[in-house]
Amino acid sequence: MNILLYLLILILGAIIGLKGKLKGNIKNRIATVQNLALLFLLFIMGVKIGLEKEILLSLNTIGFQGLILALFSIIFSVLGVKLVSATILKKNKEVEVNDL
Amino acid sequence: MTFKILAAVILGIITGYFYFPSFMVQHIGLLIDVGLCLLLLFVGIDIGMQGNILTKIKKMGFKVLLVPLMVAIGSIAGAITAGIFINLPFNEAGAIGAGFGWYSLSAIELSKHSAQLGTLAFITNVIREIIALITIPLIAKYVGNYEAIAPAGATAMDTTLPIISKSTDGSIAMVSFITGVVLSSMVPILVPLIMSLGGI
Repeated sequence: MNILLYLLILILGAIIGLKGKLKGNIKNRIATVQNLALLFLLFIMGVKIGLEKEILLSLNTIGFQGLILALFSIIFSVLGVKLVSATILKKNKEVEVNDL
Repeated sequence: MTFKILAAVILGIITGYFYFPSFMVQHIGLLIDVGLCLLLLFVGIDIGMQGNILTKIKKMGFKVLLVPLMVAIGSIAGAITAGIFINLPFNEAGAIGAGFGWYSLSAIELSKHSAQLGTLAFITNVIREIIALITIPLIAKYVGNYEAIAPAGATAMDTTLPIISKSTDGSIAMVSFITGVVLSSMVPILVPLIMSLGGI
């Protein structure tokens, strides 16, 4: 349910951004409100962490787990792109040749 | 901004630790939901304001979409594999991987499930961004230009874009930007989706 709502909101935002022809002034204000919303949410997330004192005690473990997760994600991503990079490269060379 | 982000989290932790009013606790979920929806609306506007991304993709050829696709598959599969070693259920590990380095959004979404999981998502994706910043120039030099986009994940459109652009060239920077936009749009959908697979 949430996912559909998120998708709808994203699309709604994209349409506003694309069609709205927002001027510099409003753009700046949007950036400010966006940052405030983000900082507020991170503050609330911090509150949740602070309420569960055992999390603060296990920060070492969580840090180690985070490092392992991040490393594997990066290595697998690089390998994944390596599998397809030759294909994309070939295609782009063709485009360049056609442009000449 | 990085400093402000850390300050907001630490200030929140101190507040929660010392004097968060207990009657507010039950409303935290609602607060997060409303805030997230607001944030997503702005993210959508941001993406929309970049102009018609479809035109840019058409210009580069649809094959460039293979880059975000492979980064997405790699990030999620990598995190699930890591989860086996650190004893994390596949849906939780996969959802953290689907943050694609965008630490604020994935962490906030997952903190709805548990503060512990939110913390892990935050730390994982912060570490991913740091490793990306360090390794992108090296990967561009020794592995390849397209591969250099991979560590960046969703940040390939903003925070890590300048480094990718400096380490590679203009056309790769465009692919990087497209990759970042596509991955960023996937985060709010994939994180809750993968998380919900645990119930099956």
